[in-house]
Amino acid sequence: MRIVIVGGGQVGSSLARSLSADHEVFVIDHDPDVGDVFQSMNVEFLHGSGTNDEVLARAGVARCDFFVAATGLDEVNIVACALANRLGQPQTICLVSRAEFLAGAGGGLTAFGINRVVWPEAQLAADIERIVTAPGAIDAEVFAGGIMRLLEYRLDEGSPLTAAPVSGLHLPRGALIVAVKRAGRMFVPRGTTQLQAGDKVIVMGTPDAMQAVESRVHPGRAGARLQVTIIGGGDVGFQLAQRLEQLPSIDLRILERGAERGAMLAARLTRALVLNGDGTDLEFLESENVGRSDVLVSVIDNDERNLLASLLGRQLGVPKVITRVGRPANLRLFERVGIDVAISARGAAVDSILHTITGGATSLLAVVEHGEARVFELTVKPSFEPRPLKSMGAGEDAIVAAILRGDQAIVPRGDDPIHPGDRIVVFCTQDAVDRVREYFTRQAS
Amino acid sequence: MRYSLVVHLCGVLIRLFGAMFLAPLAVAVYYGESSDAVGFAVAGVTTVIIGHLMRLAGGTSAEDAVERMRRVEGLAVVSAVWLIVAHLAAIPFVWVGVGPIDALFEAMSGLTTTGATILRDFADHGRAIFFWRALTHWVGGMGVIALFVAILPRLSIGGRELFFAEAPGPSEDKVSPQIRRTAALLWRLYAGLTLVQVLALRVAGMSWFDAVCHSMATLAAGGFSPHPLSVGGYQNPAAEWIIVFFMFIAGANFALQYRALARRDVRILVFDDEFRAYAGVVAVATGLLVLALGTDDGVLTTVRRALFQTLSILTTTGFASVDFQLWSEQAKMVLLVLMFIGGCAGSASGGPKVVRHVVLARYTLQALRRTLHPRAVLPVKLGGRVVPEEIVQVVVVFFLFYLLVFSICTGVVVALGADIVTGITATIACLGNIGPGFNQVGPMANFADLHPLSRVTLTLAMWIGRLEVLTVLVVLRPEVWRSGQWSADGRPRFAR
Repeated sequence: MRIVIVGGGQVGSSLARSLSADHEVFVIDHDPDVGDVFQSMNVEFLHGSGTNDEVLARAGVARCDFFVAATGLDEVNIVACALANRLGQPQTICLVSRAEFLAGAGGGLTAFGINRVVWPEAQLAADIERIVTAPGAIDAEVFAGGIMRLLEYRLDEGSPLTAAPVSGLHLPRGALIVAVKRAGRMFVPRGTTQLQAGDKVIVMGTPDAMQAVESRVHPGRAGARLQVTIIGGGDVGFQLAQRLEQLPSIDLRILERGAERGAMLAARLTRALVLNGDGTDLEFLESENVGRSDVLVSVIDNDERNLLASLLGRQLGVPKVITRVGRPANLRLFERVGIDVAISARGAAVDSILHTITGGATSLLAVVEHGEARVFELTVKPSFEPRPLKSMGAGEDAIVAAILRGDQAIVPRGDDPIHPGDRIVVFCTQDAVDRVREYFTRQAS
Repeated sequence: MRYSLVVHLCGVLIRLFGAMFLAPLAVAVYYGESSDAVGFAVAGVTTVIIGHLMRLAGGTSAEDAVERMRRVEGLAVVSAVWLIVAHLAAIPFVWVGVGPIDALFEAMSGLTTTGATILRDFADHGRAIFFWRALTHWVGGMGVIALFVAILPRLSIGGRELFFAEAPGPSEDKVSPQIRRTAALLWRLYAGLTLVQVLALRVAGMSWFDAVCHSMATLAAGGFSPHPLSVGGYQNPAAEWIIVFFMFIAGANFALQYRALARRDVRILVFDDEFRAYAGVVAVATGLLVLALGTDDGVLTTVRRALFQTLSILTTTGFASVDFQLWSEQAKMVLLVLMFIGGCAGSASGGPKVVRHVVLARYTLQALRRTLHPRAVLPVKLGGRVVPEEIVQVVVVFFLFYLLVFSICTGVVVALGADIVTGITATIACLGNIGPGFNQVGPMANFADLHPLSRVTLTLAMWIGRLEVLTVLVVLRPEVWRSGQWSADGRPRFAR
């Protein structure tokens, strides 16, 4: 596919990096220095304005399938999308930074022919909600229409999953440990792998089996009320609070420093308790017993203060800490110093856009661990010789997580065979994507 | 304050009220009560003449006057009109031989839709007098609806502006045509419901005369009945159920009902905070009363009696289907609590109103939460919207003044010889515009045996309570009078 991206900033470059392997990607930016980033990628960089007909024509907008406007200026993005629509019939995706563009009266931006409006802050709130509501897990995804779930756990000392090697854990049928991340390296575990405290493990499976896994990993939590504290009542904090308020089993508190903003939050939210104070003020956090929360979400619009608030929360004993990160470089840093989940609005937007773009064709289902691994769906080639999974040679970097038949997902064991024409869900590291795809889908020439 | 404007507007309204005397005059002629007919004619002519003279003395044209009206002048007009009209409405009672204090009490009780009576022997009076009592209720109810829907919200009395979502904020100082339209719509609903009730009661077996009198008294949340034993005297369960239904409607917000009706959307009612609280209070009080009364007379009968008395007191109507003076202390306690609640804002009922209780309860709850979370932002909300801090304060102040007036009046009534229960219930029955109380002023008794000064005090209590306490108290502030002048240019018109 031909994909044109206007704006080579964080979102643009992340998108280009993920898409350049399989697609023809054009990036337009008015700043020539930005082009350096794309030197190493298989990407065509065009210097110029995304609102200029001629530049757009040079990028071949007339023949492109997707057009993503991801500059920092909403108005530029909107105009670029509108122009792209005049030049061709691409699917247009427009990044915005304000709520007013999302759903205005009269259809919002659809009037400009824009197919999808992405507000990163809203995307982030949605992602955080998913993580908050999975007890114990530090990441959570649902895909294939809800018949498969993915949960990521950080194993503590004494976790039931460290009791025996993987084959001795007797996980419920339908659930599978697809990856372990230990000391910065991600690998697919074998039956003999012994999990350790400090490992991050990714488990996939059917919703029923995953529920059993959850109750195994976090016994006694089922049915209990979840205490959630949000620090920072900005766009993300407010939207997250609105989403979490819909769930009756959640007790919600939101800490906001500004008095006026706090009053606005209290006016618009119905169940959440709005507290007026600084989330980095230890005394305040202690007086409000923030340490007793089950989840702390820190979404202040400042990395340093976010980190401070999150570390204070961790120090006070909050078991699950989710932190918003602005600079992508800080993502890994934050997780290294003890934040369970570091997550960025732009990253959330990129994931969501990737999903829109590749969702139709190659069925990329999810990108996990900041791009280190992927989950995707593919159909096995007709010439594929049926054979059981275990005879395929166990790689350390890929695993078949499920076979989809009809609206059912079968989580396979080593004896289960793969047939030609099967739809399968594969989990693999970034480097193994091409190899896996080739193995299952490349026609012998 | 410009007196000319106040006098002029009062005159206009009083002259209009004069026309009301035609109705009882017609009734008196129809039933051949010629002496009473003369009384109504005299009262009517007097009223029109006084109104016209006041209008002339004021001097400005009506439209002009309304356009230029300021807040304090509005309050003065409302307070003065109610007081003056009560005196004029008392003329027919004096004519048929009721003493002046009692006549004023009865007229004020009618116009404020209270329903407390001083009539000892109902047989002494003709039908036209009873019709007149019901009509004063009905006209008073119309006045109250106009007052609460159209005037008080603009004058920010007791947080009133809060209760009508569609009315613009209190910053707007003048009365706009929009208000007249709203008032007219609500009057139509009010009149329509009255008509429906008349027909329903007639079908249930009441005479046309009784049906009309009771319907007018029900919709206005008044309580005067032409029967000395009130509604209970008819021994007609079907009629009681009909009155129960219409009392419930009359106690709810007319503006809200109109909106629900116009948009054909019941959710407007069901999701309203005040309506929910109102329905909840009715359900709980009825349940408690059924428990307290026991079901020896059959469940349905007990439920009907409990529901009737609950609604009668809560909506401040004041009918009685049984002599609840004979009930147990426990059952009477339930009724006493209801007396301090009142109906919904936007109805003709009196009392502090359910919505103020809701605001007060939420404010109290938030204050408790604040002690746990000193830094919490805890606004009081009504219908999902934040109630501004100053309005919450006004509501609190309203309750304080309500209790203050209540205490003073009770003190006076008890000091002048009534027992404490009589003193308390007589005062709350008048201040809350309910009607009957307990003991000496029970549902089958009357107020005539109280000390004359008590009766005067209670007459004033009805007036103060009807005008939401603060209205009257604001107008009585000396600074209002000190800054007063005859007209805008400071000179009496006739001195020019």
